[in-house]
Amino acid sequence: MLFEVAGLSKRFGDLAALSDVSFHVRAGEVLGLIGPNGAGKSTLFECIAGVLASNSGSVRAQGRPMGRRERSELLFYVPDAIAPWSAQPLRWALNYTTGFFGGRADLGEEVIDQLDLRALLSRPVGELSKGQRKRALLAIGLLTPQPVLLIDEPFDGLDLRQTREAAAGLRAHAARGRTLFLSIHQISDAARLCDRFVLLSDGRVKGEGTMAELAAQASARDPAGEFASLDEVFLALT
Amino acid sequence: MRSRKAAFVWLLEKEARELAVSRAWWVLLLGMGPLVGVAFIGAVRTYAEVSGLNGTSAGVGEALAPLTGVWAPAFSACELAAVFLLPFVAIRLVGGDRQNGALKLELQQGMSAGVLIAAKAIVLLAGWLIAMLPPVSAILLWRIYGGSVYTPELAALISGHVVNAGLTIALAAAMAAVSEHPSTAAILTLSVTVGTWIISFIGAVQGGWWERAAGYAPAAMVGDFQHGLVRFDSVLIALILILTGFAVAAEWTRLGTRLRRRMIDSTGIVALSAVAIFGCALVRGSWDASESRSNSFSIADERALQQIHGTLQLDVHLAPEDPRRLDLERHALLKLRRILPDVRVTYQSATSIGLFEQTSAGYGEIRYQLGGHSTTSRVTTEAGVLEVIYSMAGIAPPSAAQDPVYRGRPLAIEPRGAGVIFFGIWPGVVFISAMLVRRNLR
Repeated sequence: MLFEVAGLSKRFGDLAALSDVSFHVRAGEVLGLIGPNGAGKSTLFECIAGVLASNSGSVRAQGRPMGRRERSELLFYVPDAIAPWSAQPLRWALNYTTGFFGGRADLGEEVIDQLDLRALLSRPVGELSKGQRKRALLAIGLLTPQPVLLIDEPFDGLDLRQTREAAAGLRAHAARGRTLFLSIHQISDAARLCDRFVLLSDGRVKGEGTMAELAAQASARDPAGEFASLDEVFLALT
Repeated sequence: MRSRKAAFVWLLEKEARELAVSRAWWVLLLGMGPLVGVAFIGAVRTYAEVSGLNGTSAGVGEALAPLTGVWAPAFSACELAAVFLLPFVAIRLVGGDRQNGALKLELQQGMSAGVLIAAKAIVLLAGWLIAMLPPVSAILLWRIYGGSVYTPELAALISGHVVNAGLTIALAAAMAAVSEHPSTAAILTLSVTVGTWIISFIGAVQGGWWERAAGYAPAAMVGDFQHGLVRFDSVLIALILILTGFAVAAEWTRLGTRLRRRMIDSTGIVALSAVAIFGCALVRGSWDASESRSNSFSIADERALQQIHGTLQLDVHLAPEDPRRLDLERHALLKLRRILPDVRVTYQSATSIGLFEQTSAGYGEIRYQLGGHSTTSRVTTEAGVLEVIYSMAGIAPPSAAQDPVYRGRPLAIEPRGAGVIFFGIWPGVVFISAMLVRRNLR
């Protein structure tokens, strides 16, 4: 186990966005955070990355809570729907990512090709379309040096071909030992890419495990049901 | 292993690029030329007339110093720009990262929010120094005209405007960090600036603590620098306020901190700052950088006054808006405070303007107490005040005959070429630079 989330809760006034969320993350896996819109996926990522303060709970490694510095050395979180350094050209943004964050400059060209960004390098980040910007954000995330990468909605705004290419790129980085934790609301995309899943609904974890483990949990709850796909498992457990 | 130094250099480069693509900064640069041009050309013409140009009696300008005659008005463009243009540049640079989401990424690098804010402050200050090129080029123009330049007073004036810009940048940075939207930050920044004007106004009417507080407002501080006076207490307080602004900005830039924590920390920062400001307000000492020694008594008088070691207490029965009070402050008390170890002044009045107090018993009187002696006078001029003090201290008034007399630096010349430089060349250079820089950054 690389790290675990233990009893994490977050409230916005009267609204409980996260309630006692607990699960663990293994080294080198592609973990999918599955949940409908409004389930609390982005809030959970922000709390794990330390971008947002949680009300209770902790992120723990080796049995003890991680401090801010430890987290920043272990995790990097790529939020959804941002346009960082929007007036700057994409090539500079990628160079800045490797320079400022201390990432691997040698991966730059590979990531650019994997995500089909070469034609966009001279364009300002803020002028990219939604899908182009998403690919740029994925590239920024992949160029950072942290062992664990949290990406919020990595395929949002991408068409089918781009989704598959981006998924292949992410898989290639996971194969090199990088741990990926992806928040995905399209269950079919998650099923294709992820090794394990955390099911989140109404701010609570409804299940955690591989497809087979989750199907077993669903069967235990509804012995008469058939759970051949992640969609069915998700509906049964949430 | 991540290199912290390299990361900071990257950060500085990023902030510099962000400044270079900021329209607000280019507008500031563009505006500085005409603003300085209008002020400088007007000041040089007036100076020339007073110096004898076009039939004005020669010799009138003998008491005229370039500091107050040319540099104070020419550099006043900086004050205007610092209030109305610079905040937008600072807000764009500080608030932009939050708006576009870059802040969420950058703070995951492990670098503290304070370092992030420091990088922005350095770049903003550099941006301001570039914006000060038009008034600095006015100095070169003045030299070409044959005008006199006294470096210490100019250095003091430029430093004053840099400190004033630092105050604006720190305030705007704090507001940009505290508020969610740049427009809110702009409103808050301008509100604070207007607030300092209100304090100055109340101080002028009410006197007392308001007047004391108004003495540390940016406008008053710049006013001192325009007279070549560098007050150590003002400078220290300005530096504390600048640090406070940046500390608050850093506090509200941190991610993952609860609102309550931010509020408590910010209150602590402000409380610490208030204590430090109170301490600095007790600091005495100042430097008269003016060539004309306009903030000092004559050298002979200063030597004579240095023989007085006791407390000089003055009870002044003059209203805050009475012109005699302004005369007394500017021409006598300001200089006394610089040379005597302990000067205590208490103002008394029942009204703010004093117009209807003139018939009251004792109005207009200044009661002096020094070393067990006391006396009363109504004179508010420098010579009159000194005469009373010498008399009370039992010191013979010194002869000022051997003192060097400042004869002024008259210069009767038209501001040739200034219009072309400030209204033509400077805006043109700024426009072309903006085009080239923005193109090269892509």
